[in-house]
Amino acid sequence: MKVLAVIPAFNEASRIATTISAVRPLVDGIVVVDDGSGDRTADAVPAQQGVTVLRHELNRGQGAALRTGTEAALILGADVIVHVDADGQHDPSFIPSLVKPIADDAADVVFGSRFLGEVPEGIPLFRRVLLHAARTFNVMAMGIPRRVTDPQSGMRALSAKAAREIDFVQDRMAHCSEILRRVTRSSLRWVEVPVRIRYTAESLAKGQKSTDALKIAWQLFIGVFAD
Amino acid sequence: MLIQFVLIAVLLIALFVTWKRAGQRVVTVREALGWSLLWVGAAVGIAMPWTTTLVANFFGVGRGSDFVLYGSVMLLFVLVFKLFVAFEKQERKLTELVRRDALKDLKKS
Repeated sequence: MKVLAVIPAFNEASRIATTISAVRPLVDGIVVVDDGSGDRTADAVPAQQGVTVLRHELNRGQGAALRTGTEAALILGADVIVHVDADGQHDPSFIPSLVKPIADDAADVVFGSRFLGEVPEGIPLFRRVLLHAARTFNVMAMGIPRRVTDPQSGMRALSAKAAREIDFVQDRMAHCSEILRRVTRSSLRWVEVPVRIRYTAESLAKGQKSTDALKIAWQLFIGVFAD
Repeated sequence: MLIQFVLIAVLLIALFVTWKRAGQRVVTVREALGWSLLWVGAAVGIAMPWTTTLVANFFGVGRGSDFVLYGSVMLLFVLVFKLFVAFEKQERKLTELVRRDALKDLKKS
């Protein structure tokens, strides 16, 4: 069973090598998508067996980079595709537990959740409140079941079948909710497993800001009409 | 009144240009008819302002000019919204193009 990790990276030249060396031993290969970075992120990727680097000539957003990486992984013959952030927020040691339900043929899609026991490190209180609001938004506006505990989880694993079936088109941050909606409304089997997210000053500064919640809602709204 | 002459002159030019473009097949006849309706409607409202009050009263709005204002705001809302959607579609096409370029070498090997 070939497990490939997809890592979208935008201006991560300083951190990408660390993330890759942490992820590499846990998977059969890595696809890094440099999303039009201005800091030569692609060049900062160490030339290594099993590491494929693709480059978006223009910055198209995290969702777009994930989609490109996912399609690349399918071309490379992946059986399981794991989405991991480049900034080190996602603890790679949870990759095996994301892959396991698919390897056991118990699920087609596995979402990593911050709220299933593993205590997130350094999560600000306001962020926690916001994530609860996001969950309610997902239930009411998006029709995503309340069983989903983490509304904005970026760490997930897809079987090749699921990756082919889930046609996610949101280029920017709204892809999380979009993928949740498409998966939970399909006939694919899905499950959540606990993962740990590390909130550091650096990742908080670069990652999603709390005001992005409104942007995500707007992108999802416009997206409905652009389909 | 001067403003009426100026506005109607502008609308006449718009009407002329619309049909000129239809003649050049830049817009379809259907589109030209739609635009013409808008220009003529506006010209009627300007030449005989009491007609807008008639329509306004039908909708329960007291004054014709108020009705025109509400209508314009709503129209602008719709147009801006359509613009957003069109923009999003362009964005997706651009992404598709960038993606195809990124995957190009992978497909060859």
